[in-house]
Amino acid sequence: MFATQARIAWLLLASTGYLFAQDLVPKSSPQANPVVLTNAVLHTMSGSVLVGGTLWFLDGVIRGVLAEGLKPDLPPRSEPIVIDLKGKHVFPGMISAHTTLGLVEISSVRQTVDTDELGEMSPEAFAAVAVNPDSAAIPVARSNGILAAGVFPIGGLMPGRASVMQLDGWTNKDLTVKANAGPIIAWPQQIVIDVSRWPLLRPDTGAENTKKARKSIDDAFTAAQAWLEAHTADPKVPLDIRHEALVQALRGEVPVFLLAEDLEQIESAVLWATGRKLRPVIVGGRAAGQCASLLRDRHVPVIIDGIHRLPQRDDSAYDESFTLPKRLFDQGVMFCIATGMDFSTDRNLPYHAATAAAFGLDREVAMLAVTLRAAEILSVSDRLGSLSVGKDATLFVADGHPFDLPTVIELAFVRGQKVDLRNKQTELAQKYRERYRQMSGR
Amino acid sequence: MRFEAFLVLTFFLGQNSAQGPPVNGPRAVDPGWFALQNARVVLKPGTVLEAASILVRNGLILDVLVGAAPNGAFVIDCTGMTIYAGFVEPFCPTDVPALDPATSDKHWSPMVQPQRSALDGAMVPLADRTALRNLGFTAAAIAASGGILKGTASLVQLDEPSDSAPTRIIRKGTYQLASLQTRSDGYPDSEMGAIALLRQTLLDGLWYERCQLAVAANPALSITAPQPSAALMAMVSQRQLPLWFDVQDELQALRALRIAAEFERSAVIVGSGMEFRRLAALAKGKTPIVVPLFVPEPPDVSTAAAIERVSLRQLQSWEQACSNSKRLLDAGVLIAWTTARPLVRKDFGKRVREAMACGLTADQVLAALTTAPAQLLGVQDMLGTIEKGKLANLTVMTGELFAEKTEVRDVYVGGIRHKVSDKKDAGLDGTWSWTDGWPGQASITAPVLTILGNKITTKVGEEECKSSGVVREPTTVECRLEGKALGVDQVYWLRAYREGDALAGTCIAPDGRSFALRAIRLPPPPAKPDEATPKDATKPPSQDPLPTPLGGYGTLSYPAAMEFVIQGATLWTSDDRGIISNGAVHVRDGRILFAGASKDLPKVSPDVLVIDATGKHVTPGIIDCHSHTGISRGVNESGQAVTAEVRVQDVIDPDDVNWYRQLAGGVTLVNQLHGSANAIGGQSSVVKVRYGVAHPDEMRMQDAPQGIKWALGENPRRANNNGQNQRYPNTRMGVAALLRDRLAAATTYREEHAAYERLKSSARTALLPLRTDLELQALTEVLADTRRIHCHSYRQDEIFMLCALAKEYGFKIGTFQHVLEGYKVADAIAASALGASAFSDWWGYKPEAYDAIPENGAIMHDAGVLVSFNSDSNEHARRLNTEAGKAVKYGKVAPAEALCFVTRNPALQLGIFSRTGSLTSGKDADLALWSDDPLSYAARCEATWVDGRLLFSLAADAAARAGIASERQRLIGKALALGKGHTAREGDKKDAYWAAEDLTLDYCCSSCEGGR
Repeated sequence: MFATQARIAWLLLASTGYLFAQDLVPKSSPQANPVVLTNAVLHTMSGSVLVGGTLWFLDGVIRGVLAEGLKPDLPPRSEPIVIDLKGKHVFPGMISAHTTLGLVEISSVRQTVDTDELGEMSPEAFAAVAVNPDSAAIPVARSNGILAAGVFPIGGLMPGRASVMQLDGWTNKDLTVKANAGPIIAWPQQIVIDVSRWPLLRPDTGAENTKKARKSIDDAFTAAQAWLEAHTADPKVPLDIRHEALVQALRGEVPVFLLAEDLEQIESAVLWATGRKLRPVIVGGRAAGQCASLLRDRHVPVIIDGIHRLPQRDDSAYDESFTLPKRLFDQGVMFCIATGMDFSTDRNLPYHAATAAAFGLDREVAMLAVTLRAAEILSVSDRLGSLSVGKDATLFVADGHPFDLPTVIELAFVRGQKVDLRNKQTELAQKYRERYRQMSGR
Repeated sequence: MRFEAFLVLTFFLGQNSAQGPPVNGPRAVDPGWFALQNARVVLKPGTVLEAASILVRNGLILDVLVGAAPNGAFVIDCTGMTIYAGFVEPFCPTDVPALDPATSDKHWSPMVQPQRSALDGAMVPLADRTALRNLGFTAAAIAASGGILKGTASLVQLDEPSDSAPTRIIRKGTYQLASLQTRSDGYPDSEMGAIALLRQTLLDGLWYERCQLAVAANPALSITAPQPSAALMAMVSQRQLPLWFDVQDELQALRALRIAAEFERSAVIVGSGMEFRRLAALAKGKTPIVVPLFVPEPPDVSTAAAIERVSLRQLQSWEQACSNSKRLLDAGVLIAWTTARPLVRKDFGKRVREAMACGLTADQVLAALTTAPAQLLGVQDMLGTIEKGKLANLTVMTGELFAEKTEVRDVYVGGIRHKVSDKKDAGLDGTWSWTDGWPGQASITAPVLTILGNKITTKVGEEECKSSGVVREPTTVECRLEGKALGVDQVYWLRAYREGDALAGTCIAPDGRSFALRAIRLPPPPAKPDEATPKDATKPPSQDPLPTPLGGYGTLSYPAAMEFVIQGATLWTSDDRGIISNGAVHVRDGRILFAGASKDLPKVSPDVLVIDATGKHVTPGIIDCHSHTGISRGVNESGQAVTAEVRVQDVIDPDDVNWYRQLAGGVTLVNQLHGSANAIGGQSSVVKVRYGVAHPDEMRMQDAPQGIKWALGENPRRANNNGQNQRYPNTRMGVAALLRDRLAAATTYREEHAAYERLKSSARTALLPLRTDLELQALTEVLADTRRIHCHSYRQDEIFMLCALAKEYGFKIGTFQHVLEGYKVADAIAASALGASAFSDWWGYKPEAYDAIPENGAIMHDAGVLVSFNSDSNEHARRLNTEAGKAVKYGKVAPAEALCFVTRNPALQLGIFSRTGSLTSGKDADLALWSDDPLSYAARCEATWVDGRLLFSLAADAAARAGIASERQRLIGKALALGKGHTAREGDKKDAYWAAEDLTLDYCCSSCEGGR
């Protein structure tokens, strides 16, 4: 029944090629045969853990998630590739919900930094058009089970729109899961002006500036709403691409991502956005625990931007950021966990969640916070985030839990296509280990 | 001698001087002979004469006697007055022009201008003179502002110079003034750089003096002797003067004292007002402190957002600042007060009363203003008390010193009277009712007049009349009254004066008729209860001892070394024994007595504390081989490409709360490194995380080998700076060349000094003494393998370069730091360096970090390099245990060996493994207790001991949090009760808290990405 030859040819693909500065791995060919993972521990995230389960997928989509003893209902005459996982673990691909992955190659080299469009308001900019699928950083993240990312432009009051990208494919078109995941708003903080550094400013300039900046954001949405109504009634009204960029958010089809850390900042951001009938997502969220009831009652989720952060104040608890997820969970606020907006450290995503788990959060909930909850908050849970029938076969196989450092990610699929888990760094390691092998004459 | 000259000068005061013009007309003779009679005279703190007279002649106190003054003296009646010795301001910064930039005879650094005299400048500006006199000050020591060595201060009289009478100088050159000021545009731009420059200049002064002596003994040496230098000459001539330090905060004060001790100078600290925060350390040497009554504004607690920002340390600093003087005095420190810091003069009296509310006595207040400054300035024979023969500097007050209603009436400066205030009320104030004489008084109601200072209100019945044109003289008052209620004429001009118990006056009607009036005083209305600020808000703070450091996590006393046994834990020994399950650790007197299998534990006395740690893990305290935690005011001296002379050990900040946070991550020892902007950076410092010790020096690991930071690649090239680089080196080639040149210079220096040392002392007299160069001296220690280089490095080429250089000069490199491409040249590192200290997995932040790989540590380890992992970040430092875990993940290093990356290996690299870094009996009890496998993210640190002292535990942390919450609540409530008003904002130098606060940003940002 199983076509052995097909399986061998398919597995060989992985070892071809060489790697250097970029992601130079050829992509595997589109999935022709059903892939069946048997004898697995399936961490579905949407339901219970299935020990001894079977998962199969075809055309990039999960077709069956089966408990022990159940047989997959494969199409007739198909030549499935069956992989006996011998008790290993299958997880949906982790999602780095807030990152610049693919927009930056080297932080200090301006030419490689594609994150910040000119001006305070540039919602027309969206990440998907500029994510470099050959960035060396993508395979690095991928190797540790990070298979999708919310990529965010930065800078200004409205830096642009986030895009959700899967982390393997030939082109950025392949990578794009959702080009417009929602506009980003850097919600202005009530600034405390340092009068000694800015002697020409009156001390209240901070509050005035905040008010002005917040109003300019509100004005942008008012103008976009007016344009939308005019344009709908009379399509001859010319296109304004900045207004157009906000249409989906105005219609409630996508959320608005509000970057906010302070208590006042979060509260005012939520009140503003819900008042405008927008769907706010708080990104950052350091003080979210102090306004949890507001967030819960208005169904506002939080992308916690990094667990490995220093406390806010000298007298804050040393584990303030470690315990934030637990505090939000206990108060019924929906959240996911991100790494803190650095393209090169996305691979440490599971460890942020693991720290939250060590500081009180249930381990399952912590894993949800880097998978299904991230997918839900980024509005891509129809495709990503759990091992569920109908979703993308974007998942990985590991010999343990991804929170545990020694765990090895052994196999991964992005939309059904097998991922080469090597990267620039594993190849450099191999290259130079060879040097010492030669030197020792072995 | 000087005093005699002064006496002569005052005799001709205001009449003549050698330079003055001839008198135009007959000369005026002022006998300068008067008596302040019938006063309460406070001769000195604690000694009072009632109904006494002070006799003054020619600017000096002729006598003090009880009763009336003898004939001859002009008598000034001081009935009801209290007379104190004139106050002395010991520190009054004044603008002195910088040295002429055209002159070649000046120190290379504009921060070093010891040849300046405060007398060369603007002296005390008129407004300041007046303001000081209004407070009761009569003399001030003026000192040049700006720079590190600022020149000499001089004591002057606070009176008005004129063409014929310039500012009178009491003593010239009373002290030498120094500070640790930095620059924004050159060397030194860090506090450690300022200290290095100050030390080098003090050394140069001593050397210059020895050179002069050598030349005097052997004139032939004058050919090679150093060029004449006004700056160094000044250093020589000022060496006997007291060295005063103008400091920004209490830690700077401790640093200044260390310098004074090194150069055997008698020191005085001009403080910040925040001394109480490091009281024990400051009080130890009993160095006098000139204390500003400079207190923080109430922190902003007006909004929820504001409260979120204010820290407990700020709240505590605000509340306790008024207790500063009291605490210093109780600790036995001699204090004098200054008004020098911003904003204080206006509120001086209020500040004094606040200090007194904290328990300061009137005598202590008087001493801080008179005897103490006189003593510190060395003029106790002239000023400070009221005594026969002393200068007639006197302050006449209407009552007890700085009591709420007391006013300064007059001050006498060297016998010259300056009126400060007039008697405001000659009995006119009050409410007066006309009994007699008001026009038409028979038919209309006479108005009731209320006089209060310059304010006059007039009421007829309930109706108020307009009173305008008020002229108030001491004994008379004049005004115009208007209003219908006044009757027929409706306008009257009124002039009144006191007569006996009554008020008498004249009223003039518009038609010119005048009326003689008489009024009697009505009883004052009952006083309203004081509705100002609620009592709690102004209640003086508790005088109990304060925690060290001030803030949420300090302790009242540094925890004692415990004796205890940890039993049942898995021990990660980091020595040959690897991991021992079911182990026990016995600690006593700060040392590990036993660490091994529980079954082998020798019998322990039953009263020793046993900690059951079944299921838990114990590791040696974590060691961070690359940290910038707790370095005050500048991690990097970037003013020069070579700064081997600067020392991190000079600027240890024991207050940094990151120490506590790192203890909560099991960290017990840290290698504090200078930054990487220089090819040759500053000297590093190895400290134990002894959070809570009294003095920062107590954190230093005694006997740890010395270290120094070097740096290769983009940072010393300044390649990541915006704009054009103007400083050598600009390339990796230049970095290599500069390093080689400095090593060559150090070699020459070492040889010269060695040759000199070998000479007999008699032979040395034929030579000029050698100059000590702090920079080259540190480099000779590198050559001698007594100072370990910790070299910031990235690319393999530069690593090779340094290895070759080390070979050429025959020394061993300490560590390569960061060493991101170390995996490419591990063999060279193994041969030339003690080890490599890397990040676990950072990469991609700059071109030279693009080839970084997480297997770096493992590959180097496998190739025989001693590898450690470090943080370079306040945040990362808390998680070094799991960073070590990444060596298991990315290189399959065995777990016990991986933990050694943050315990044994950094200890070996720092040369302290004989003392710490493993669970071995005899070593320091630096331990961490973990809830789980320490290499796992599931592990929480539950307790950390340093030298056997429990410096972190979950229980103590929980208690601290509860304490913080209640203290914050209390203090925020207290600040709220004061109501609105000016509130301190971050960075405001006019606020005592922020002026003392180190606002240097964290080296790495909070999420620890950034400029490594």
